[in-house]
Amino acid sequence: MNGLRQRYGDFEAVRGISFTVGEGELFALLGTNGAGKTTTMEVLEGLRAAGDGEVRVLGLDPHRQRRRLRPKVGIMSQEGGFLGDLTVAETVAVWRGMAADVGRPSADGLLELVGLTGKARTRVRQLSGGQKRRLDLALAVLSRPELLFLDEPTTGMDPEARRDTWNTIQRLRGEGSTVVLTTHYLEEAERLADRLAIMHEGTIHVAGTVDDVVSGAGDQIAFRLALGPQELRERPGEGLPFLAGQAPTVTYAGGTTGVTYTLTGPEPAERAHAALRPLMAWAHAQDLTLQRLEVRRGTLEDVFLGVVGEGR
Amino acid sequence: MTADLRHAVRLAGMDLRLLGRNQTALVTVLLLPLLMSWLFSWTGGDTATVAGVPGALFMLTGMPGLMLCFAVFINLVNVYTARREELVLKRLRTGQASPAGILGGTALGGLVLYMAQIALLVAWIMRAEDGPAPANVPLLLLAAVLGTAVFALLAMAFSGITASAELAQVTVLPVLLVTMVAGPYFAPLSAMPEPLRQIAQAVPATPVVEIFRTAYLGADFVGDAGGPLSTGEQWLAALPSLGILLAWTVLAGLAARWLFRWDPRRG
Repeated sequence: MNGLRQRYGDFEAVRGISFTVGEGELFALLGTNGAGKTTTMEVLEGLRAAGDGEVRVLGLDPHRQRRRLRPKVGIMSQEGGFLGDLTVAETVAVWRGMAADVGRPSADGLLELVGLTGKARTRVRQLSGGQKRRLDLALAVLSRPELLFLDEPTTGMDPEARRDTWNTIQRLRGEGSTVVLTTHYLEEAERLADRLAIMHEGTIHVAGTVDDVVSGAGDQIAFRLALGPQELRERPGEGLPFLAGQAPTVTYAGGTTGVTYTLTGPEPAERAHAALRPLMAWAHAQDLTLQRLEVRRGTLEDVFLGVVGEGR
Repeated sequence: MTADLRHAVRLAGMDLRLLGRNQTALVTVLLLPLLMSWLFSWTGGDTATVAGVPGALFMLTGMPGLMLCFAVFINLVNVYTARREELVLKRLRTGQASPAGILGGTALGGLVLYMAQIALLVAWIMRAEDGPAPANVPLLLLAAVLGTAVFALLAMAFSGITASAELAQVTVLPVLLVTMVAGPYFAPLSAMPEPLRQIAQAVPATPVVEIFRTAYLGADFVGDAGGPLSTGEQWLAALPSLGILLAWTVLAGLAARWLFRWDPRRG
């Protein structure tokens, strides 16, 4: 996908985005509601013509050559659209039949796969939101697609169902499917994706492997000192040191001082370790205890909030 | 192409099964037109003959025009609109069926319903009214198929301007009224008063009725109150009406292309 733009009336939902998903890869498109994820997915799925820019899916134009693409692709779109008067088993049977009509054999044990075996004879309208999502997934993967589009696959699921769904998605990947999914659950992207992109207000702000993206957030070193600001300043010797060239962020509350360093140096694997040595030396020289000392890697959440925060 | 056809047949089967589970729709689609036919034939029964045919028989052979309105047009406007608003069309489109397969499947379901009603009507004419068997079945079927095509395409177009399934009751009214008033149900076109005759000549239900009646009774009822025709002459007499139907198919197809929408109207 290269330079996709998509507008509705005078609102531009997607403002020039580009990315590539390799074969067998799981790519996650992460973003807030209204970031343009679903619109992007609909263009990839061929349901919408690309407004501007170039889109190729399995080497084909997804809109114009949709007929050729359709049998190879599985789609789980975001909302509803079931025929409530059909039972779960009937719904699967119709889908199975339609796949067979284009020469795609369908997988057995679909309802077991998504944990709906006990609901086979239930009318679809009586399913809970999470159960409908699972039926949705079953239909999307029914014909063992080479490429799977999942638009917010676990929205509305309870934690257990979400875990099951993740396992299902991972199993499909293991069988060689390429997966493009959107989500606003950071954990989902972190756990499943090989690569991800964070979308906000129609543009991609950050993209890369999960490690790349997360390392961009920097590592955090945080601790407290049992001193007020006045005492800290009046102590002899040097004040709080710079670590890897970074100044600390200092907050005061209730007679204690909170100190946070965010390390965004070039060596993501070693920088936290390297920064601790001068810090400990400083604490030793000052005869201070670093209370509640915490060293943690940056998280996807840090990156995500950074992206969303930029826009404000 | 064959995959489209198989999809359409499969979806039509699903539609008919769903219709069986929806009593409200069953009443509108099946019972109402039969009830109307009965009423029409009952009130018209007193008229001794129309154009040389017993009154009740003349009227009953015109009923396929009205049935087309209920079994196909109203039914399909409802289905297309409700399914668009409930995102069913969108979901079907994410599956293996092509747009033609999805829309055609529903239309095919309508055709099956319509054919079943015609079969009922024929049985009724033969048993209750002591009428003849249809004279030219292929021509009669052709009228049914073409009529369904026109009204299914019109239904797609009208569903595009219908915001919700509830509003469908309103948007179908103009077509329903014109079809009911301006059609050769009680008298042949030649016997209709002038302005009405011109309207009746243009509406798509008229050629269906005329071909159907001609094919059923084996006599010339295309515009005329006519004399008996041989099978070959029946086809020949039906040609202008077939032409009108084809023109309507193109027109309705263009309207459907222009107005039909897959995604719900928002805001």
